[in-house]
Amino acid sequence: MNGTADMLKEDADFFSPNGKTVLLVEDDGTIAEEIAAELTARGFKVLHEATGDAGLEAALRLEADVMVVDRLLPGLDGLSVIETMRQQGIRLPALVLSALSAVDDRVTGLKAGGDDYLTKPFAIEELVARIEVLLRRPDDTRSTKLHLGPIDMDLIERRVWRDGREIELLPREFRLLEYLMRRPGQVLTRSMLLEDVWQYRFIPRTNLVDVHIGKLRRKIDGPGEEPLIESIRGTGFRLRVPD
Amino acid sequence: MFLTELFRTATFRITLMALAAMAGVMVMQFGLVYAQLEAVESRRSTELLKGEAELLAQMSPEHLEYVIRRRATDDLRLIINSAGLFDSGHALIAGDLRTWPKGLKADGKPHNVEIYPEEGDSYPLRVLAEKLPDGTILVLGRSFYLLSEQKLMLRHTMLVAAIPTFVFALFLGIVLSHRALSRVKEMHEAIDRIMAGDIHERLPAAKEWDDLERLAGSVNRMLDRLERLMDDMREVGNDIAHDLRTPLSRVRARLERALSTGTEPEALEATVGRAVDDLDQCLGIITALLRIAEIENSRRKAGFGQVLLADLVADVFDLYEPIAEMEDKVLVAKEGEAPCFVWGDRHLLIELLANLVDNAIKFTPEGGRITLGSQRINGAATLFVTDTGVGIAPTEREAVLSRFYRSDKSRHVPGSGLGLSLVCAIAHLHEAHVTIETGAEGIGTCFRITFPSAFLQKVEDCT
Repeated sequence: MNGTADMLKEDADFFSPNGKTVLLVEDDGTIAEEIAAELTARGFKVLHEATGDAGLEAALRLEADVMVVDRLLPGLDGLSVIETMRQQGIRLPALVLSALSAVDDRVTGLKAGGDDYLTKPFAIEELVARIEVLLRRPDDTRSTKLHLGPIDMDLIERRVWRDGREIELLPREFRLLEYLMRRPGQVLTRSMLLEDVWQYRFIPRTNLVDVHIGKLRRKIDGPGEEPLIESIRGTGFRLRVPD
Repeated sequence: MFLTELFRTATFRITLMALAAMAGVMVMQFGLVYAQLEAVESRRSTELLKGEAELLAQMSPEHLEYVIRRRATDDLRLIINSAGLFDSGHALIAGDLRTWPKGLKADGKPHNVEIYPEEGDSYPLRVLAEKLPDGTILVLGRSFYLLSEQKLMLRHTMLVAAIPTFVFALFLGIVLSHRALSRVKEMHEAIDRIMAGDIHERLPAAKEWDDLERLAGSVNRMLDRLERLMDDMREVGNDIAHDLRTPLSRVRARLERALSTGTEPEALEATVGRAVDDLDQCLGIITALLRIAEIENSRRKAGFGQVLLADLVADVFDLYEPIAEMEDKVLVAKEGEAPCFVWGDRHLLIELLANLVDNAIKFTPEGGRITLGSQRINGAATLFVTDTGVGIAPTEREAVLSRFYRSDKSRHVPGSGLGLSLVCAIAHLHEAHVTIETGAEGIGTCFRITFPSAFLQKVEDCT
């Protein structure tokens, strides 16, 4: 856990949460306290509200950079908070937390205007990783070429090079690498990769994503080359940005 | 007490309604007979009076006078009760009608008039007055006595018939209601016992001869089903408790040891890490159970659409090929000759297939082979996953599809034991059948999901 924080501190020049404010709307005191403590430890500022109405008011004050909102709240529920906010034209990125795990619950949450969705119980690492991704919009420029350190990617011809050496990738490996290259330096969890690269919402076994990343890593990081894809214990993976 | 309950029974209310209906019908019948009787008597009187007047009019005046006089002592009086011969000034010449009846017209038609005798009460009489050629007027009358007699008899008959009938019907109604009441009471008592917690109690249904017993039988079958479901739930609850107790006990033991020994920070960190892994396993079990319950209870088919099975096979193959390769097993995707479309939820079907492939990889030894694919069998679309693993004994095939079942061969393999339950729940939502067969060449296992042809029909309607 602390390992991640240290790594993030190393990357402070590239991305720092310092000064970023998270609006947390959660009625369960214990969970709110845990989340707030973790986020504060990582350099975020946390505004905590325990009801939907107070959360909406805080969101409208435009003091936060990202919002984490529980779905079931006393008074106004989480989805209504987001819907009202969106109707007022506020684009504050929002992550929905929910204890409901209905098959189409996630879809409802995203339709209401949420940007991401996390089902309880969740690992705090997962929440933090998703908050960071929300704070930094991925580089989805329309350019046909991606470039990151020694890696070049041609999206039209579906070809990848490292320092001029062409790497043969299977379609799924190409998709995975493209996803990582658009989010350099960010911690990406297994479930984020499954949801976004494969569009799956379940994890039949824990090492599924690891095996895919492992295969990609063996192709990208040749012998003697500086490893670019890092595993972050207990959380997920990160594409390092070389100095 | 009994009476108030009696009035509230359906049987007794039906009896009362039947009685009211019977009474109505009876009154109508008697009314009809009454009316008929009057009409017949009226017609008969008219014919008799006219016929008699015709006969008498043909006689000579002297003879007629003689006949009228003699009539007073004649048997004919039974038919023509009164007769009189009057002159043109309505004065009596002969006969037993003393005076000219009030308001009588000599038009040869019968009239109902009131007769006022010198002694006694007035009485009604049907009278016909006919002018004769010599100027005299012949008056003939027929009394209503016979009709009143007949009517009286009819009224008596009606009362004599109706009263015992009603009394008997009422008695029968009370007896039947009482019987029904006592049976309903027994059922109420049985229900009270069930409500008090005795879920093995059943309603008295005997051999289901009548509707009440058939209803009780239906309720009993419903109770049987509920009891089975409750047993299942209790079993699942026990299974959950049992499956959660092991990892939770491990967590507790580890944390306790860490507390008492006060170990190094690194060791402490490792202990906490392992505790988190154990808790993750617990949460995994709970999540899987909630997910199964959710799919089983899902009546919604909002995410349903046309799905090409070959696409699912390709996706799952793509996801699992590296895993199989890493574990030194061969994963093969086979495409059927005909494209198989089904009507379903793509995400759930991928989850189903992924679970089957995941299981197959788990239970196939190194160097083994797992084949997944889709094919059409007898017109039905099917998905199959075949492995060359340890296989499942025919006796165990039913059981492995139930929750938490772990065959002895799989005790060492990690997992919640809920993968196949999830497969069944998803298949059930798609009205598909899960069958377990022996794999190719008699080794391993083949899981087959057969989709109903109705779903195919739906797809063909859309294309």
